[in-house]
Amino acid sequence: MRKVLIVDDSVSMRQMVSFTLRQGGFEVIEAEHGQDALNKLQNTVVDLMITDLNMPVMDGITLIQNARKLPAMRTKPILMLTTEGLASKKEQGKAAGASGWIVKPFDPEKLLQTIAKVLP
Amino acid sequence: MKIDLSQFRQLFLQESAEHVASMEAKLLELRASPDDVELLNAIFRSAHSIKGGAGSFGLNSLVRFTHSLEDMLDRLRSLEMQATEEVIGILLQSVDTLHGLLECDGDREMPAEAAALIGRIDALLTSQSPDSATGKHDQQTATTHESEDLSHKQPEADDVAIYRIEFRPDPEIFASGTNPIVLLRNLAQLGTVSSCELHSGSLPTLRDLDASRCYLSWTIEMASVRPVEELHEVFEFVEHLAEITVERLDTQLDTQLDTQLDTQLATHREAAVENKVLSGAAQVKTTAASDVPAKQASPRKPAAAKKPAGGESNAGSSSIRVPIDKVDRLIDLVGELVIAHVMTAQMVEDFEPSLLPRLRESVAAMERNTRELHERVMAVRMLPVGTVFQRYTRTVYDIAQSTGKQIRLEMSGEETEVDKSMLEMLGDPLTHLIRNAADHGIEDPEARLAAGKAAEGLIQLRAFHRAGKVVLEIADDGAGIDPERVRTKAIERGLIAADAQLTDQQLRMLIFEPGFSTRDAISDLSGRGVGMDVVKRNIQQLSGTVTVQSVKGEGSTVTIELPLTLAILEGLLVRVGDRTLVLPLLAVIETVPLRDNQIMRVASQGEVVVIRDESIPLLRLRRYLGLPLEGTDANEPGGHFADDAAGNRRLAVIVEAGNRKIGLVVDELLGQQQVVVKSLERHLRKIDGLMGATILGDGRVAPIVDVASIADMNLFSLEHTSQPLASFSSAATLGKQNPIGGNAHAMV
Repeated sequence: MRKVLIVDDSVSMRQMVSFTLRQGGFEVIEAEHGQDALNKLQNTVVDLMITDLNMPVMDGITLIQNARKLPAMRTKPILMLTTEGLASKKEQGKAAGASGWIVKPFDPEKLLQTIAKVLP
Repeated sequence: MKIDLSQFRQLFLQESAEHVASMEAKLLELRASPDDVELLNAIFRSAHSIKGGAGSFGLNSLVRFTHSLEDMLDRLRSLEMQATEEVIGILLQSVDTLHGLLECDGDREMPAEAAALIGRIDALLTSQSPDSATGKHDQQTATTHESEDLSHKQPEADDVAIYRIEFRPDPEIFASGTNPIVLLRNLAQLGTVSSCELHSGSLPTLRDLDASRCYLSWTIEMASVRPVEELHEVFEFVEHLAEITVERLDTQLDTQLDTQLDTQLATHREAAVENKVLSGAAQVKTTAASDVPAKQASPRKPAAAKKPAGGESNAGSSSIRVPIDKVDRLIDLVGELVIAHVMTAQMVEDFEPSLLPRLRESVAAMERNTRELHERVMAVRMLPVGTVFQRYTRTVYDIAQSTGKQIRLEMSGEETEVDKSMLEMLGDPLTHLIRNAADHGIEDPEARLAAGKAAEGLIQLRAFHRAGKVVLEIADDGAGIDPERVRTKAIERGLIAADAQLTDQQLRMLIFEPGFSTRDAISDLSGRGVGMDVVKRNIQQLSGTVTVQSVKGEGSTVTIELPLTLAILEGLLVRVGDRTLVLPLLAVIETVPLRDNQIMRVASQGEVVVIRDESIPLLRLRRYLGLPLEGTDANEPGGHFADDAAGNRRLAVIVEAGNRKIGLVVDELLGQQQVVVKSLERHLRKIDGLMGATILGDGRVAPIVDVASIADMNLFSLEHTSQPLASFSSAATLGKQNPIGGNAHAMV
């Protein structure tokens, strides 16, 4: 089963995404913020990471930059899950190494569609 | 696949309520440091999270409102805008509005005040720096519109165009997590691929091949009804890692050709593209069939259309969040308990007398486990008082704003843990005390300056543990309580006799009596029909005590003492007649044997026992309980404290509540143990003097004495009723009838 790491400081958002992913047949692990995610990536290999951008401790952009330095994450798709409609955010994410983005409001069908677009 | 997220609605509302509370606290902090970017970021994140979740549940008012709020917060956190008092004021109002929107599930029409606030926020944004405000706004709306347009577009046959796409990925493209094959697949879904050429000229020999680099590039020709931008969008996230050109070959392709394409092309488009690409052949030509009509038929489903299941109550006040380690420890303990149980059961099964010591041991182990489990479960209910404290910053801010006073609120000990049910019941009394301190205690700046104090008044809210109790203190450096004014008022209200002899401290405690208010004009802030008597009653319901200390001109301190938890207490079991009673051990100071020569009769106080020069009023529990009296029973008024039939000496258990000591006359001490407090059934009348009952090891029910309410009663009048009291309730009535006593002497 393919494994997805979802990073979001909002418990409800995390649970919604996890629920959707499990329904979609993925194994899910959760992290509360960037640092938490990086810690989890030390011990776990995932097929995809989905991250919020605005988070305490370590934001999503910094997380993506750091995740790309990990050998196991170098070529894995990373999606930004964000409320930001701002093009600048998208550019920042892109430069950091994101593979795509999902704009909130969170829509389960859209999430699975977007994932299908980045997973080999 | 239809995925129903309504089950997460409750969680979202609860989480949002927490966000709102935290925003409020942080906004108030912001007043002291308006440039604190960390603080502004945190506030922004809260608004952002609410907005992000609200959309998923179709809470449109909430989305619109948080959107405006977020705009402003974004400007603030990038320091493009100053967090002035006005701005913070608007933000605080917004927090209230958010609270309101969440209360009504955020589901209804935008309330007028929310719409008005959005207007004010927008006005403020434009006035502060028109350029950047509108600029950013436009950009954002533009992006949104663009994507809406694209996904809702109903393509027409006339739009069919032939495109040639050149895709030359950078060797490093894999480092963006993007697999070029996946992009080709996505591209193919947008139309009908007629040819896909793979260029593998730069592919090195196997020896030199670096698997992490991409050596391939592609040229694709396809027919599509989608606009060129949408084809570009497929490569959006690799734009900086690839050379991409999308070129329209034939601008006027008519429907005829489209039909031709459809009929001509082979069907296994997707597989074909991938297979050919992977085959690595230098020049591959392939054709594929179209699924264009199928594609157009699926416009994006707007998330807002989803209606969450109704009938759910608002943010669950009865739920509790528990740190995972606490839960883990519980699970461990349950595991140990199960093992102990299995071992014991086995031993009972094969029992022979020689096993007795081991059986004892294993029962003891189970007992240890059970006790620890109990403690841990209780710990789950413990929450930091800080969660209640948070809101008072706002309370004080509001009062300061409306009265023109300058007030600072300092808090300490927010991490002190209190039982959750207690915490919920503490909110109101604390609010009242804080309002009182701010409204009645702290003086106007002029008066303070005249009295040689700083213009800014200080209210301190402290929480800490002391001697097994939770102590909450509300201290202000205001005018203090003037005992003489209290006396005048109390006489006026008929609470005490005109010639009553009371110490200053006794006078101050009168503020907790029903119908007492020291301020002539009741202010609209504190005078909400509840007085300090309600505070006192609330605290007593929690088995706590409340006292006030005050120095005129220097301020007042109200101290609330509470047991650690309501559900379990360390009890002293005593026998009175044939009854067993439980006294909360925390209230017990000492136990003394009674001798006749220690007992004195004081005209105003009835019987007292003198211990180390202190006279402590006695309450004969046997009499209080309405138990049959024996001939020379110590519990009979005027009776001697002779030994009872079994030769046991009568004892007085000295208990203390609210700075008052009382000696409870009991027949025997039975021991001490932890008891689980069962509240009395709700349909039973509230009985003064009892806080509940517990079930003893042998299955009997033992009432638990509420020391605080007994200490409050008029012992003197109790003693002078001619009939022994038949029940608790009649005793309660008597105690209530005359709380201060005709001449106020009994009130200590």
